[in-house]
Amino acid sequence: MVNLNVVLLISFLLFSIGIAGVLIRRNALVILMCVELMLNAANLNFIAFARHSGSVSGQAFALLVMGFAAAEVAVGLALVVALYRKRDTVQVDDINLLKG
Amino acid sequence: MEHLFETIGRNMFAIFGVMALCGAAFMIASRSAVHSVLGFLFAMLCVAGCFLSMEAEFLGMAQILVYAGGIVVLFLFVVMLVEMSKKKEKEVFQLQSRYAVAAVLIGAAAFVGVFRKVIFGASSPEALVLRPELAQGLDVAHQNAQAVSRGLFADYLLPFEILSVILLVALVGAVVLAKTERV
Repeated sequence: MVNLNVVLLISFLLFSIGIAGVLIRRNALVILMCVELMLNAANLNFIAFARHSGSVSGQAFALLVMGFAAAEVAVGLALVVALYRKRDTVQVDDINLLKG
Repeated sequence: MEHLFETIGRNMFAIFGVMALCGAAFMIASRSAVHSVLGFLFAMLCVAGCFLSMEAEFLGMAQILVYAGGIVVLFLFVVMLVEMSKKKEKEVFQLQSRYAVAAVLIGAAAFVGVFRKVIFGASSPEALVLRPELAQGLDVAHQNAQAVSRGLFADYLLPFEILSVILLVALVGAVVLAKTERV
């Protein structure tokens, strides 16, 4: 028996760690990983509420979110590689092409 | 001893959750990108354990396959390609003090707002507990994959098809973005 509050608390903390990583890290790869972490926190909530309400929709949508995460990471890593070719760095503060 | 095992079994979710939090913290705190990827892998495996302890067996296995098998390997390859950079990270963290403090305060307020009944409420109503009797009709515990597939292919067929188109677009986009410009 899992208490729903425990699920919500852990998913909240995972999401906060993800947000903190996106905000304070400078490495584009680590930022992408933090985005994945946030998607996983959302998935935890989906599954917890699916279990709570006895419906399978939450689990189906968690699977869809997993697919979206895979698509997103493919595009994101391609962007990182392209950026590394052009600018020879993956540190986000070195990338200031649009700064006037 | 049996009592200990029983306690562990009942709190499996919390154990896996705390381990996932530790992995995530290691991920954002470590200086080298490879260590970050390893922390990410650990966190993902622990989240898969959380899924399993919530009786979402199919999703737990899919999580292990997709993340540990696919995404982490992809990340490791890109780290190998990219991290030879001469420009190293000068400081790992980038703290913009005033905004950071404001964001932390807002986050803490949101946390208290959401969880105040859990933390302070002595008079809180009974805790929300996952209700197995509602999931009984689905037979989630025994035929999880069957139940998920019924949801996915009967009720949510359109989102599923849209997702397949999105994956195709992402595939083409990744190839176009990452290819060398020697046409």
